Amino acid sequence: MTVLPASRPVAAPRRATAPWFVRLAFGWVALVLLVALTADLIAPHPYTAMSLANRLVPPFQNLAHPLGTDELGRDVLSRLVVSVRISLLIAFGATVISAVIGTVLGFLAAHFRGWVEQAVLTLADFQAAMPFLILALSVLAFFGNALWLLVGLMGLYGWERYARVARGLAISATAQGYAAAVAQLGATPSRVYLRHILPNIASTLIVSMTLVFPEVILVESGLSFLGLGVQPPMTSLGNMVGYGRDYITRAPWIMLSPALVIVFTTLAVSVVGDWLRDRLDPTLG
Amino acid sequence: MTAPALDLRAVARAYGGGRTLFGARPVVRAVDGVTLALPQGRTLGIVGESGSGKSTLGRLALGLETPDAGHVTAFGAPMPAPGTPAWRALRRRMQMVFQDPLGALDRRIPVADQVAEPLAIHGIGAPAERRARALDALAAVGLSAAQGGRYPHELSGGQRQRVVIARALITDPDVLVCDEPVSALDVSIQAQVVNLLIDLKAARGLAMVFISHDLRVVRQIADRVAVMYLGRIVEEGAAEAVLRDPRHPYTRALVSAAPAPGRHRRERVILSGEPPNPAARPAGCAFHPRCPVAVARCRSEAPALEPAPDGHATACHRVTPAAERAA
Amino acid sequence: MLRYLAVRAFRAAVTIALVVTFAFVVLRMSGDPAILIMGPEVPPEALAAFRRAWGLDQPIWVQYVRYFGAILNGDLGMSMRDNRPAIEMVAERIPATLALTVPALVLKLAVGIPLGVWAALHQGTGFDRAVMVAAVFGFAIPSFVLALVLVLVFSVDLGWLPSGGQGTVAHMILPVLTLGLGGAAALARFTRSAMLEVLGRPYIRTASAKGLPWAAVVRGHALPNAAIPTVTLVGFLVGSLIAGAVVVESVFSWPGVGRMLVVAVASRDLAIVQCILLLVAATMVTSNLVVDVLYGVLDPRLRHGARAAA
Repeated sequence: MTVLPASRPVAAPRRATAPWFVRLAFGWVALVLLVALTADLIAPHPYTAMSLANRLVPPFQNLAHPLGTDELGRDVLSRLVVSVRISLLIAFGATVISAVIGTVLGFLAAHFRGWVEQAVLTLADFQAAMPFLILALSVLAFFGNALWLLVGLMGLYGWERYARVARGLAISATAQGYAAAVAQLGATPSRVYLRHILPNIASTLIVSMTLVFPEVILVESGLSFLGLGVQPPMTSLGNMVGYGRDYITRAPWIMLSPALVIVFTTLAVSVVGDWLRDRLDPTLG
Repeated sequence: MTAPALDLRAVARAYGGGRTLFGARPVVRAVDGVTLALPQGRTLGIVGESGSGKSTLGRLALGLETPDAGHVTAFGAPMPAPGTPAWRALRRRMQMVFQDPLGALDRRIPVADQVAEPLAIHGIGAPAERRARALDALAAVGLSAAQGGRYPHELSGGQRQRVVIARALITDPDVLVCDEPVSALDVSIQAQVVNLLIDLKAARGLAMVFISHDLRVVRQIADRVAVMYLGRIVEEGAAEAVLRDPRHPYTRALVSAAPAPGRHRRERVILSGEPPNPAARPAGCAFHPRCPVAVARCRSEAPALEPAPDGHATACHRVTPAAERAA
Repeated sequence: MLRYLAVRAFRAAVTIALVVTFAFVVLRMSGDPAILIMGPEVPPEALAAFRRAWGLDQPIWVQYVRYFGAILNGDLGMSMRDNRPAIEMVAERIPATLALTVPALVLKLAVGIPLGVWAALHQGTGFDRAVMVAAVFGFAIPSFVLALVLVLVFSVDLGWLPSGGQGTVAHMILPVLTLGLGGAAALARFTRSAMLEVLGRPYIRTASAKGLPWAAVVRGHALPNAAIPTVTLVGFLVGSLIAGAVVVESVFSWPGVGRMLVVAVASRDLAIVQCILLLVAATMVTSNLVVDVLYGVLDPRLRHGARAAA
């Protein structure tokens, strides 16, 4: 539980440069974002194009296929680029959805208190206690796996953390200080929460998002690896690793390049998140 | 005769109580049967130590809290429940100035925008007009347009309190409740802010509730004064009379502890015993454990607030009302 | 203390009830169970008869109460693929899962806690930094990647160990390593920060200022206090034994509950999925309860009820 005083002094903008590994992490995140945004331009081949003449080409041997090809002769680099886009899209969508759900529920809990608050806290405890992978698998078992469903489902990941942060901060803001003052001016609750409390806790929520984001990537890639997430012909990073696993003896590169991208990306985002937390909000867990 | 701006009838407010999972909580009777009226255009000072319930009384008077018992009437109509549209609309006519101006301001918004916010909340004027009125309001409290563009933490404590006052007055309210508005400020700044409030209330015909533990400040600004002790009013009357000629032993102690210029130096009444604890209110007259003139009756029977013919009311068995004295 | 335990037990029951409700809602939302089970080409009269027979024509809350009652009686439905009671089929798989997860848990504890304590006691040294870097990587490397890398090295390249299946101890080494290493990293990081927090508290400085030998301060004051938050994480690890096994059992074709869940999800064998969901919830809730009891033992303030609200 994080309860912050409402009138925390604004973090003075320090001009100290980040350590080298943080800068490296920022660089990697920027690169991955660039790749995701320009996937269509970068990919040398259509990601589904097969070439039976060029099957299982190892990396760094054929200029047309710098990262090699898979069992069906599809270009690994092209598939990787598209996978990065899909995986990031899902992770972004899911993180935003869960931040919105969590913040709204946290605000509701803080505003109404009483049984609403108890219900939200009980749900949050439940969500935190149940392994998310199991819940996700059960939902996928019942509903199948359309892409929008996968994003929506992943959007339930981590909401309880935003809810706790938002509730704690909103309670301390309404108990005393600016939020109470604005309410006393006659502002509606939506004005108090959206115009005043939300901007004041935004930095804390953004830090929480950077801490949840890599976990979302891991869960999505895990589901896709098991064949229960993104479905072919669509591809995602976890999907590629799952496919490459069948060729691990003959063509380990199929699985290694997406695996490395997953590891570097989660590593980079969590390094950035830790760094942001230390700078902006050392009180977050 | 017009209805008083605020009228409180036997209001009471208690906190705590009930059983939690882990045992009973003590009941704190913050305000216990207070009757007060605030005529339009007048200023009522409320004095007392911390824990006397004066802040709670201020919140009850503004309608920020609902009394457990009794009634609050604003401008002749019952106070609407907090959070209702009628309550929100009424905020335009009654505003508040807080003890801690930094806490009362949003640190992410330039202060001029915060001063304009009540106009936006109550749908008054077009955006450009609101901006102009905010600058006027800032000018009225002695702040420039450039200062209006700053953030709260870029201003001094006194300037911040001026911003809060400007925000409270921008909707032209009829009632202003000031809860310890200067006690968090430097002594050198206090007089400026108090003088500003005096000028503003005279210019606008404001009715004001001025809550403070500082008798000098209250004497300067208030027409009438109510002295609170553990949730009840022990003395009430014209400010000049109460502070020059206090009748209740508690008020006498307060007044003697605060030397004022031009007043005869009289012997100081030292309060003995424990400071008041609102969770353990003594039986009888709540003041009796610390009272230098308490008698047996004070331990068992709570005195009622009885007005003397001169309008000066006191709740004390040892104070003979002037009527009896004359008889 | 008793009241504290009663509150916790009540919360546990609420959690289980929530899981059952979750399963019911998801089950009902996913489509008409009659059509789901009988198939879409069945004549409407047959569907109506089926609904009557299974009470599906009753109001939804009656169905909910019956569903709840059936689960309380241990009736978790029949597997659609094998037509055997789901609970029986799941129970058969539990030993295989435990054979992997219990050694993995021992590995996590035996590696993670000492590393974390040692790193905290030698804060800022190269050893400490190495532990921290390992912990960060342990978080960032998903278990399926770690598993495949281990397979690549020890099965494909070196040929020392089998890449899947069960039978001998050799079959267990890679899955147990996969499960254990990631968890050990997380546990080391957590233990380290719990230990550092305790070491910074005034009573530790007081104890060492009184002239107590440092080793005695650590043993007598720091370790017991750092154990309190660590117990929570260990409880979580125990509770998520089955969940953690899902991916690893799939990679190594290990016939446990986790792999069964993946197969059941892929083939929409709802009774099996629901049964495993409840099994996971039950282990989670039970281990949380045990943690709460341990808390009471470890934290004397709780024993006397002074801080029971925490």
